[in-house]
Order: sequence, then structure tokens, then C-alpha cells
Amino acid sequence: MLLDALHRDAAVPARDNPEPAAPPRVEARPQAPQRGLAVTVRDLHKSFDGNPVIGGLDLHLPGGSFTAIVGRSGCGKSTLLRLILGLEEPTSGRIAIEPPPGTPPRAVPPRRIMFQEPRLLPWARVLDNVAVGLTGMGSRGERRDRAREALREVGLADKAGQWPATLSGGQRQRVALARALVSGPGLLALDEPLGALDALTRIEMQDLIERIWRAQDFTALLVTHDVAEAVALADRILVVDGGRIALDLRVDVPRPRRRGDPDLARLEGRILDHLLGTPQAA
Amino acid sequence: MAQAFPAARFRDAAFPWLLPVAILAGWQAAVSAGLVSNRFMPAPLDVVRAGSEAVRTGELWTNLGVSSLRALAGFAIGGGIGFALGLANGLSRLSERLTDTSVQMVRNVPHLSLIPLVILWFGIGEEAKLFLVALGVFFPIYANTLHGIRSIDPALVEMGRVYGMTRAELFRRVVLPGALPSIFVGLRYALGIMWLTLIVAETISASSGLGYMAMQAREFMLVDVVVLAILIYAALGKLADTLTRMLERACLSWNPAYRSA
Repeated sequence: MLLDALHRDAAVPARDNPEPAAPPRVEARPQAPQRGLAVTVRDLHKSFDGNPVIGGLDLHLPGGSFTAIVGRSGCGKSTLLRLILGLEEPTSGRIAIEPPPGTPPRAVPPRRIMFQEPRLLPWARVLDNVAVGLTGMGSRGERRDRAREALREVGLADKAGQWPATLSGGQRQRVALARALVSGPGLLALDEPLGALDALTRIEMQDLIERIWRAQDFTALLVTHDVAEAVALADRILVVDGGRIALDLRVDVPRPRRRGDPDLARLEGRILDHLLGTPQAA
Repeated sequence: MAQAFPAARFRDAAFPWLLPVAILAGWQAAVSAGLVSNRFMPAPLDVVRAGSEAVRTGELWTNLGVSSLRALAGFAIGGGIGFALGLANGLSRLSERLTDTSVQMVRNVPHLSLIPLVILWFGIGEEAKLFLVALGVFFPIYANTLHGIRSIDPALVEMGRVYGMTRAELFRRVVLPGALPSIFVGLRYALGIMWLTLIVAETISASSGLGYMAMQAREFMLVDVVVLAILIYAALGKLADTLTRMLERACLSWNPAYRSA
């Protein structure tokens, strides 16, 4: 139902557009039903058994933004994500998650995470797995209808009655995406969700995630060690090193982005130089 | 493929029975030809005759009914307690620390060695049989339920928590279905132990039931009835196994290892 509303709203700006020649996809960010949660992190510290993993990190993510966090293994990027999602308790510091102004307290959209593994329940059919995303919301019939809609969104409507074991890795990850999105989240955290997929499936999934993000206006936070993926998807890239933000870059390349775009390649090179510690190109 | 032609399907279904039928035929031939004395081993046809006689007098049904009732009641009591304790110890550290050591100690005592003690306590009444069967099935159900809950993927439990499942939902939708394959393993073991225990108990001390029927027959040298009783055990075992298999297929159809071919 929520998805329908979004489709309808998405059509409105296109009709009012003074320049009919402009490609509608670029203009079509919906204005009315803002639900992207804003995230503010202040002086965040987290240590495990006395070993600091995050040390004094500050961060603000505006509602509806798409941010990627990159960094070497063990730099604390996944921990930061889990802290923001509330899966871990900070040692000290503050994390504030704010809905768009004027949101009634009961209508605050949920936070969702997509893990590196799909984590589907093997004993539940695909449709019921998606409906897990609506746990505690609405009646069983409503949950199933919305789950069906979300499955259609990720292109797996025909797999609704199958067991997860019969799907390919990419399809399972798409089911996990549908489960994360079915409740209309305000924040979607992606913890290297495409790391285990082959290169082509990965590109397809990136396009799917981008398309759905543009249609649904949630705040997206992607943790990845694939710099090309970060550059292709995000508006902003944070390089985390030693539990702090070492580099904060805007990606001002218009969407839809073409793979192999020279601007993207330049950015990717800059980030890789930083990560590998070679002297920065001007 | 095999589903398409009734003849091929029949051949498929008949195949596993080929060996038992051949053994029966060879056995009958050996006794008829006088190679084996029928004082020691009756011919299959004698056993069939003894069976129809027992059916005619109603003795078979009475004994079968009595034994089945004992088996099921004992199984329900012991299996129920084992399942409940397995769940409790799988879900609660406190409960496990309190009881698991004791259970493991008792487990290593062969439960049939308690027969003399049980006869002293209960006499040869129904309680003795129920107690032994319940004790026998308790351990495999307990151990496998506990193991099933222990081996659940913590990543799935975390997923359930992230999606806001309450403890009850987490149990019903993640923990229990995840433990089910292991619980079924326990169920199969327990069914085997159930018959074994009951037959031993009835053979030693009973005034009705299949084991009693076999012992009576031995007193009167009715070898055919003794063999009949043994064959009935085999049939009951096969029946229990088939039922479990059907239940597994219904409950575990998500698991490729259990999907029917």
C-alpha cells in the first residue's frame, strides 16, 4: 500500500515539470512522503574487551541520503553500522536517530539491516520469509499482500511459494532485500550485502538497490570494501580508518551513473590511494 | 518418470520386498524338504496358521492392543518429559547447569538393569512397564532436543531479534523449526528403544501382551507362536519407522535432505 502511494507521488512532479524534455527518472524523487531517518553520531566510542574499535567518531547523515562507508578489514566500519542499528551498545557517546520533522511518534519508520548472508529461514517459504519483515504489523493477510508486493518489486513474484534452498545466491539476497524493504524502512543499513555474489549478479543487485532507494526515499548506509561499488551507489563516501572518519567525499556524479564513467574512476582512484597509503594524486 | 507408468511404479515399490520374499521362500523350501527340523524352526506356513489361529481366538488382538497401549503410554510420558527438559535446558543456562550433569550420570546406567529394582517397587503391574519404557525413551528425546536447540544458527536468531520477534515468536518461528531435524533423530531412536524395552519387560514379568504371549508359547514348545511374535515385532518396528518417515517428510519438506524423491 505504501509502495503504491510512492508510485503515485513519483508521477506528480513529472506532470508539473516545466521542461517536458528532461528525463523523468532524474527529477522523480518524491517530495511528499519523506521518511528517511536522519542519523547523528556524537563522540562515539566503542571497545571490545578494552580494545578500542571506534574512537571519538562524529557523523551526520541527512534523511534520504545514500552514504557508503569503506575501509580496510577491521577498521570498525561494520561495528559502526551495528551501533547505529542498535545491535551493539556504545561504550560512550550518543547516537540520535530522528524521523523527518512532523512525523507522528507512532508512524516513525523502522530501521532495517541487510547482512552479508541472506539469513532466510530455510523452513519458511519465500513469501513467509519476506513477511518476517512485517513481524508484529497488521493481520496475516495484510502481511502476505505486502510481502507479495515487495517480492514483485525485486522481480521474484513467481518464487513466492518456493523454499529458499531452491533459489540461487543472488535470488536469496533479493529475497533478503524484499524482507528488509517490505515494512517501508526509514533507514536501510547494508553490511556488505553483495560480497558473496558473482560480478554480474552484483551489478544487477546494485542497480536494483539504487532504483528502489530512488523510489522510496529511505536513508541508505552501505558498508563495503569494494570501492567501485561505493562510488557507483553513494552520494557520499566515508573512509574509516582506526575507528575514525579519515576521509569524507561527496560524489557529485548525476544518476543514473554509467559504469566506467571517468569521474567515478578518478574518485575511486583517490579513495584507493588513501586506503593503500600511497601519496595522493592532485 | 516412474510416476508415468503404473507397471514401472509397481516394480519400484516391489523392489525392496524382493529380498524378504526370497528368504521366506527359501525358508519354506528348507523346512518342507526336511533340511531343518520344524521343532527348532517352523515353516512360514505353520507360522501363518498359528497367526490365523491367534486371530480367530482373539488372543492376538488382545495382546497386541495391550502391548501397543503400554508402548504408547510409556512413550508419551518419557518422551514428553524428555522433550520438555531438552527445551528447558536448551533455552535456559540455569536449568541446564542445574540438571544436565545428573541426567548425564543416569544416562550411562542401562535402564534394563533396573528391572529387578522396578519389580520390587511396582510388582509386575502396568506401572513397571510404563516406568521402564518412559525411562528408555526419555534419553534419546532429551539429548537430541537439547542438541537441536544448541545447533541453531545464531545468525538466524539475531535476524529474528532485528526484525522485532518476541521471545515466543523467536521460539516458534526460528528455534523450534531449526531443532526439528534433530528432534526427529531422537524420535526414531526412541521408537526403537520403546519396543525393545517393552518386549524385554513383558518377557520377564507380565500376564498379558506380546512378550507374554511369546513366553507362554515357549513353555508349551509352540515354536510357531514364538516366531509369530518375533515377526509381529518386525512389522511393528517397520510401521513405526514408516510413520516417522511420513511425519519427517511432512514437517521437513524444506530440507533438501528429506524431500521425497
